[in-house]
Amino acid sequence: MAEAMNAPYTSLLATRGLNAWYGESHILHGVDFEVHGGEVVTLLGRNGAGKTTTLKSVMGMVEKRSGSVQFQGAEMIGLPSNRIARLGIAVCPEERGIFSSLDVEENLLLPPQVAAGGLGLAQVYELFPNLKERLRSQGTKLSGGEQQMLAIGRILRTGARMLLLDEPTEGLAPVIVQQIGRTIARLKAEGFTILLVEQNFRFAATIADRHYVMENGRVVDMIPNAQLDANMHKLHEYLGV
Amino acid sequence: MRAPFRTTAMDSIFGVPVQALFGQLLIGLINGSFYALLSLGLAVIFGLLNIINFTHGAQYMMGAFVAYLLASKAGLGYWWSLALVPLVVGFTGVVIERLMLSKLYRLDHLYGLLLTFGLALIIQGLFRNEYGTSGLPYAMPAELAGGRNLGFMFLPNYRAWVIVASLGVCIGTWFVIEKTKLGSYLRAATENPALVQAFGINVPRMITLTYGFGVALAAFAGVMAAPIYQVSPQMGADLIIVVFAVVVIGGMGSIMGSIVTGFALGLIEGLTKVFYPEASNTVIFIIMAIVLMFKPAGLFGSQK
Amino acid sequence: MSDGVIKIGVLNDGSSLYADLTGQGSVVAARMAIEDFGAAKKGMKVEVLYADHQNKADVGSAVARQWYDVDKVDAIFDVPNSGVALAVSQITRDKGKAFVVSGAATSDLTGKACSPNTIHWTYDTWMLANGTGNAIVKTGGDSWFFLTADYAFGHALERDTEAVVLKSGGKVLGKVRHPLNTQDFSSFLLQAQASKAKIVGLANAGGDTTNAIKQASEFGIVKGGQSLAGLLVFLTDVHGLGLEKAQGLIFTETFYWDQNAQTRAFGKRFATANRGIHPTMIHAGVYAGVLHYLKAVEALKSDDGTKVIAKMKDTPTDDPLFGKGRIRADGRKVHPALLVEVKKPSESKAPWDYYKIRATIPAEQAFRPEKDGGCSLVK
Repeated sequence: MAEAMNAPYTSLLATRGLNAWYGESHILHGVDFEVHGGEVVTLLGRNGAGKTTTLKSVMGMVEKRSGSVQFQGAEMIGLPSNRIARLGIAVCPEERGIFSSLDVEENLLLPPQVAAGGLGLAQVYELFPNLKERLRSQGTKLSGGEQQMLAIGRILRTGARMLLLDEPTEGLAPVIVQQIGRTIARLKAEGFTILLVEQNFRFAATIADRHYVMENGRVVDMIPNAQLDANMHKLHEYLGV
Repeated sequence: MRAPFRTTAMDSIFGVPVQALFGQLLIGLINGSFYALLSLGLAVIFGLLNIINFTHGAQYMMGAFVAYLLASKAGLGYWWSLALVPLVVGFTGVVIERLMLSKLYRLDHLYGLLLTFGLALIIQGLFRNEYGTSGLPYAMPAELAGGRNLGFMFLPNYRAWVIVASLGVCIGTWFVIEKTKLGSYLRAATENPALVQAFGINVPRMITLTYGFGVALAAFAGVMAAPIYQVSPQMGADLIIVVFAVVVIGGMGSIMGSIVTGFALGLIEGLTKVFYPEASNTVIFIIMAIVLMFKPAGLFGSQK
Repeated sequence: MSDGVIKIGVLNDGSSLYADLTGQGSVVAARMAIEDFGAAKKGMKVEVLYADHQNKADVGSAVARQWYDVDKVDAIFDVPNSGVALAVSQITRDKGKAFVVSGAATSDLTGKACSPNTIHWTYDTWMLANGTGNAIVKTGGDSWFFLTADYAFGHALERDTEAVVLKSGGKVLGKVRHPLNTQDFSSFLLQAQASKAKIVGLANAGGDTTNAIKQASEFGIVKGGQSLAGLLVFLTDVHGLGLEKAQGLIFTETFYWDQNAQTRAFGKRFATANRGIHPTMIHAGVYAGVLHYLKAVEALKSDDGTKVIAKMKDTPTDDPLFGKGRIRADGRKVHPALLVEVKKPSESKAPWDYYKIRATIPAEQAFRPEKDGGCSLVK
């Protein structure tokens, strides 16, 4: 980790000494990691390790945070989440965040465009054909897999090139997980940068370039995907599987 | 089942002539217009801010007073007031939200309720000190003076205008919230403000403007009321309790619920004034109690 | 003197529909009376307390008990809202204190609910009914429909007016009772319209009356050939309505600031101290009542409530506002009543120049004969 601390900022997204709090509880205790442009990076760790909070802290969605979060070399620690979004970062939250008072089309069109170059509706429908047939349905009436597609599809429209995905495969059938895996691979091929929170490291191994392992609100290890097999025993220990 | 209910030469219902009944129903609709306008504002505010805006009655009163002041100090008539007053009073709402309410969102709802209730008392007290309680006159706009005989009743033109204007405002508000992009932001932010903000939308500003809009609706109702009721500091305090009952019956935060319930309860109250006038002030609360027993979330509300 | 200081409590509506016609103005009037009596020069220490009873009998009763028991108040003045006044009258009697009513209207205060500790100064429902009702029936208004405030005062006013109408050969075609502090009268006005009565009698007061009058004009009641009779209308109501809406209303008062040099002087002085609002007859009644009360206390050298009230009844009254008069055994203060008509906007020459006095009803005819009231104090 000392190496990372001293590295120059060549990364697209980097945090240094990131701390975060919910009310009185101190969740993150100095998180350091970085994501290079075009990479898919995962945050692995047990429940409660601070993965989701790290994602939310990057996005400015926690009550209180300190340290440094830089995107394209610019500091974002003091920015509210709406300004962060406008810099070209989009989030697909845990539990998907589909709005029940909006129909599928409204959900899809909700996030405003923050940059040119987002996918057109036709491209989103091509990626997720199921959505097109259910545009008038209430958002939360979709199946879990369809909701996940909706949650990813809507942020692809915005033109953001940095995506934060929080457990996109959670609770989904294997065939859907595979479809999501293919989608992420395709997005990577198109040059998107993706930070992924995952419990399922087998899934992560199929798509990620590097893995950060978190414990108790800190990053404790970084494993390049190529060395995953060699470090399997260590990972089992970290994750308690 | 029973044969269809038929009557011959039915010219009265429980001893009340049908003609009079039509008149009373129409009157009920007019009062319902005010209930709908005010409960709509409350519903909009509650939906996004999760605050029960107890200042609403005072803001309605301010609407009437600002109209009076514009007329007496600046010579601006009713139509000007209808356009300007919601802006002016809405702006005071924006200031209140920025300076005070926005500090309370993290706390229990009770604090917002107490703050807005206290503000209402202060505002009413200030106006009472300055203008007394017997009320101030406000002239009917010349274009709407007079009325027409509908056969079963004399309908003042102004009251017809009240129904048309408030229906228009209610439907317009409903349309914006349910059918437009802006409305989808509002609805989404009601469910999950943090996520909507993380999509790049300035949710705090939207909350501020929403409160301002809700207040502007109250002020609009105040201007509508000025020519028919005395412009007096307690005019809102009397009305707002009824409107709260309307909101509770309709379901907190439900836009359509507040509009439909507002008009419907106006009708029911109108009927009560014919059959048992002594109860006309209480009938709405009786309905509220019954609704709460069987549907605690209100007729149009969803349990959170 | 029980404790070296005379404490006067002014109890009325400080924040709702009767606050302008009673309210702080009554405190101003009481202070003026103390000043004019020359209490300071005579070495008498007089204090004024004030409370808002919110038109609730329980609140009013609690204040009265607290004042009598804890704060050593010797006499309570004003108390509009007949419901509250009846409650305070009973408490005053139980405690042996003094109660001089100006604001409340019900004639029961000197009728079946009369008390040796209560004086009713300014006006009452019988006098209003008699003054206004008679005048209207005489000019052809012989069929009536009542809009009545649904509490003690409204019921009494309706009952007393109905009696006058029936006695003069008129008839009552219908009545509707509305809750106190009603905003919207359109429904009731529609019923009045449907009744085809010549006269729509407003047995209510304050904000209820002004709202009803304002909306009656909107619904074309007067244009349709019916007339409005405001049975209890105050100067501040006329001010709030504006002459445009109020013109032509006929009703009965016992005081108007523009009667003579003395009343005009009082009116000016009062208005200066009361945000420009001119005195209603209730304010005048508080002034005259306090003045007469202090005279009795001075003569007796005692503030014992029952004795002071008896002394007040024994002493002929004389004050700049109501002139010479007297208080009867039943507690009724008698003085002439004024049948007034509200001026047209073109007739009004100055601010608060609102009334034409159409007739003066002599004191002995203005109020209900002592024997008819059913008061147990009358032998």
